[in-house]
Amino acid sequence: MISRPLTKLYPTLIVLAGVTCTPAVASASSELAAVWNFVADSQPAEARVALLLVESIDSRDQTLADVIVALTRLPITGKRLRELDLALTGLSAGSNDISAQALYLRARLHQVHSVPPNHARAGELYRELAKRHPASHWAQLGLVKLGLISLYALPEPADAAGRIAGVAALLDALTEPALRRDLQMQIGWAGLFYDRPLDEVLPYLIAAEKEGGLFGLIPEDLVLQIGELSLRAGHVEQARSYFERFLREYPVSLRRYNVEQRLLELVRRMKIEGGS
Amino acid sequence: MKSRLFQPKLVGFAVLALYMVLAVWVHLHVSDSSMTRTVTIRLAHWQNEVGPAAGLNAVIARYEELNPHVRVKQMVVPPSVYRQWLRTNFVGDNAADIVEYGAWLQGMSDIPVRYFAPITGELQEPNPYNRGTALEGVPWLKTFTDELLEQRMNSPEPGQYYAVTLARGSFRLFSNRQLLREVTGSDQAPTTLIELRAVAERLAAYSRARHRPVALFAGSKETATLLMGMYLMGTTSRMVPELDRDGLLSLYAPHVLGGYLQEKWDFQRPALLAGLTLLREFSEQMKPGFQQLSRDEAMREFLQGDALFIFAQTGTAMTLYEQAPFRVDALRAPQPTKDDPVVGPFILGPFADGNDMTSFGFYLNKRSPLKAEAIDFMRFLASQEGNALFSAKSGWPPSIRGVPMSPEIAAFVSPADGYMLGISYFSGGGNSRDLLARNLYRLTGPQGSPAKLATALDEQMPAAARADLAALTRDAWLAALPQDARIAAVGGLVRAQPEQPAHLLAREQLEAAQNQSEARALMLVRQLQLTDKAHELAAGPLSSGGGTIADSPGRSVRTCIRVPLRSAH
Repeated sequence: MISRPLTKLYPTLIVLAGVTCTPAVASASSELAAVWNFVADSQPAEARVALLLVESIDSRDQTLADVIVALTRLPITGKRLRELDLALTGLSAGSNDISAQALYLRARLHQVHSVPPNHARAGELYRELAKRHPASHWAQLGLVKLGLISLYALPEPADAAGRIAGVAALLDALTEPALRRDLQMQIGWAGLFYDRPLDEVLPYLIAAEKEGGLFGLIPEDLVLQIGELSLRAGHVEQARSYFERFLREYPVSLRRYNVEQRLLELVRRMKIEGGS
Repeated sequence: MKSRLFQPKLVGFAVLALYMVLAVWVHLHVSDSSMTRTVTIRLAHWQNEVGPAAGLNAVIARYEELNPHVRVKQMVVPPSVYRQWLRTNFVGDNAADIVEYGAWLQGMSDIPVRYFAPITGELQEPNPYNRGTALEGVPWLKTFTDELLEQRMNSPEPGQYYAVTLARGSFRLFSNRQLLREVTGSDQAPTTLIELRAVAERLAAYSRARHRPVALFAGSKETATLLMGMYLMGTTSRMVPELDRDGLLSLYAPHVLGGYLQEKWDFQRPALLAGLTLLREFSEQMKPGFQQLSRDEAMREFLQGDALFIFAQTGTAMTLYEQAPFRVDALRAPQPTKDDPVVGPFILGPFADGNDMTSFGFYLNKRSPLKAEAIDFMRFLASQEGNALFSAKSGWPPSIRGVPMSPEIAAFVSPADGYMLGISYFSGGGNSRDLLARNLYRLTGPQGSPAKLATALDEQMPAAARADLAALTRDAWLAALPQDARIAAVGGLVRAQPEQPAHLLAREQLEAAQNQSEARALMLVRQLQLTDKAHELAAGPLSSGGGTIADSPGRSVRTCIRVPLRSAH
């Protein structure tokens, strides 16, 4: 008789047991997510421990996770680098997102983790990635990286105009707005670095600024920069519009006084030109 | 006969049920007691001058009154050991819950992302301690006078905020009012360099008449280089648009250093020679041998009435106010005017002698076991009430909008009435920073002259500029490299939950930040290559992929003259 009330408690007990035992029965995917979260949060030691605790994981996931956790321990020795490259080469054979990511990471190993860096090889891998996985986010990010090394590190093309034109051509294949914006901004800044004509530089900066979503001081820098470069290029109305926008949108900027003076100068110049 | 009550299955369920009930009971009671037991959070900083510790004590006392279950322990660590102390404690997992940190601390750029928790989310919400004030309902971020500009400039992860700030600061010429009156016959402070020279002449006459040497400026290596660095930049402001290749209306380190290596400027330029001539005038108004003296000795000179002015950061004001037997006034820096006989032709207009950027930033320890209590204390610290207490007791201008200031403290805030010119010719990095102080003796005394100093600086600047550019490159790579693993990990999260907006935003932010740092590093390497093809770049990602580039027409490069340099890190 006494067992009946206990039987009635079964559902409650099962729920309570389930709640207390959740960590023990967590799925491999949530365990893997814990590894990713630790790495993303710059907690390499915790990530390594979390990875050791992952059970019944797919072998490709395991290999990728091993490589990524290894990337948290910088710098990477030559021997380890070769091991990682080999592991990623195996992973990159397929056609899914992991394959694309593996190919991307191979390019990164060559570009930034090996000593000395092999920009030419990295460039080849970024191109291969774009060809094999054109729709992948990793290929899109790879195009930006290819753009950066083409702007500053690859030997060819030799002249700055050709270099910038080559990188600008990558924009045709770059469809993700945020990455497109990043590359446009870098093309503009490289144009300034190489002393390219301002009318060649300004459209890239204007396009990047228009896309928005930038962080830190860059939004403020871009608006001011477009205003000032427009003024130097003789586009006075455009300069005025960006300077006024700057004063409106960045009331606590340290360069507020500088912009106010520049705007006064510009208005004076417009009056003189209008008068004459 | 065995009772049914003792059947093993039933006993098992009974034990399990009892365990569950006890578990719930313990859980509830532990939660209750946590509300009442006293916990202690620790706050560490290096501001050991008069003022900040007292200001924080006032905030702590009030906070503990409002939150009796929390105790706050203030730890003032000497600045000379702060970096090592901080790193050791973080590595040992024993760091304070809230710590002061500055992006300029050398060799510490890995600290924020590894050990600090971003507080971006909290800053988007109103600060509960601002209830009943004009800031009620205003997002916490918007309550700071500069909306945490320093975090936007230096955040290790663009888009993320890691700190709250407590104060503002600027540079002031602190004046002995009584002595000024005796010398000039009035309390009128000089506002231009021409007026300052007139005061210097009267002071010389005053000294002669009393057979008592009184200097215009209290002199020391530190106060002199501070004064001279600011005036050299401010009095050569017409050069800034020339060097501002990128149209930012302000100079950043690569423009100054790279511009020098590309022969866009040197110390023989008339503007800089005029600036150095002004610095010689200043040096003649300090006690002979001032280069050998420390800041404390300069303060003593001023406090004893042996100097009319001392140029200093406003952070030291409370020490002066407390210890001076006379009334101390904080004066704005006398400005050059266009009719100035020495530097007039080379100025754009008045220069800024401070700014509205808030500082004294406190960060939340990512591994703090008392994160909730720590963030709550940070909210109070940077609320109107907390910041008002801090400001009143420390003498430092507040960082929060609407906090009242006494006239003495308000005098430390520089309105935006002068050109903000960016970094000076000697602020591009550790190597160039030392040049002025190291060579100052070539400017002063009977043997010194602006030309001698300029020649020496031009001999030493190429190597210093190169070393500083290389250090900037390393910093950019240090920011970019660790992001590879983080971006890859966020990629794993996106793969598992492709529609999760938080993962997509994190990915975009990390990638944008890395693209920016990486492009900067590659550009700096290219700049070094273009200015000295023979220069051997550091190994690893600091070196380029090789090859020569026949671009950048018309650029000449300076020869690298090797001089001993201190380590970039």
